[in-house]
Amino acid sequence: MADLLTGDGAILQADAVLRAVGGRSVLLRMAAPAVAGGDAEQLGLATPEFQDVELAPAAFHSANSVAKLLVSASAVSAVVGSLAYDSAEVLFETAVGVVIDGVLYEIAGSVASQAMGEAYCYWLTLVPPVR
Amino acid sequence: MQNAKDTFYEVLRARLVALNPYRTIVLRGVVRPGVLVEENELVSTVALPDCFRLQWSPAVTDADGNMTMVTTECVIEYETAGTAGNAGMDRGRVLAAMDGELLAAVNPLPRSTPKMNYAALASGGTATTMTTSVWWGELTFGKTAVKDDRLARTATMSVMSYQEAGEL
Repeated sequence: MADLLTGDGAILQADAVLRAVGGRSVLLRMAAPAVAGGDAEQLGLATPEFQDVELAPAAFHSANSVAKLLVSASAVSAVVGSLAYDSAEVLFETAVGVVIDGVLYEIAGSVASQAMGEAYCYWLTLVPPVR
Repeated sequence: MQNAKDTFYEVLRARLVALNPYRTIVLRGVVRPGVLVEENELVSTVALPDCFRLQWSPAVTDADGNMTMVTTECVIEYETAGTAGNAGMDRGRVLAAMDGELLAAVNPLPRSTPKMNYAALASGGTATTMTTSVWWGELTFGKTAVKDDRLARTATMSVMSYQEAGEL
């Protein structure tokens, strides 16, 4: 019960709300680490490998050309920790994009919603691919 | 023109590293010299600070001579928020230092180098020297732009080469 009055409580509540409204999973597409001293990659001759990491629960909203993704901070912090990123912001800045229903969206920006100094969810502004 | 672009990048990177080996960036988990060609990297909305970002404009050809001469403009963008230890109050000095590094890298003679073909690197091979050269003009600095807490600059220069038989 005491948890509900802390940042952790906000994270739990955000997760519960996201699941209650039909929270779904999306895939964060990351490029594999570059080859050290690899001229081929720096000259655009070699393509890096990619890995997809699941983020859930999340809620996706798309209207006209604006797409927003609300994703749980607990899911994000798990990825930040496991892939050894400095912060969620760096994770989103270096990600290739988010795969939703097979479509790769570019991440244009991320904003953290915070309670008591702790992020409980992230709003991602997504850019759909140009057809 | 691709060989000329690749060759110019390699030369610029080598000269910048010689001038200031401490100007590095971390890109996809790897530390590398602080210069990159944007069209060779993953698409990103983030402009990396404290490094030189190269862009290439469309090529212009001159077919009057025996060989077609190709000219393209190299646009070099860079920006800095200064150093955190100085609360960014040294951002003007840091930008001036980057101006100086770039100038020292491209303006000294010779402003030319043998053209290289790096295509074999894709299959684990080595670069080969071509028969003609790549050369470039003087650097032109643009105005200082303010981007939130960063100062930014765009410098431009022309890079020329002769198109050899079979070149793309």
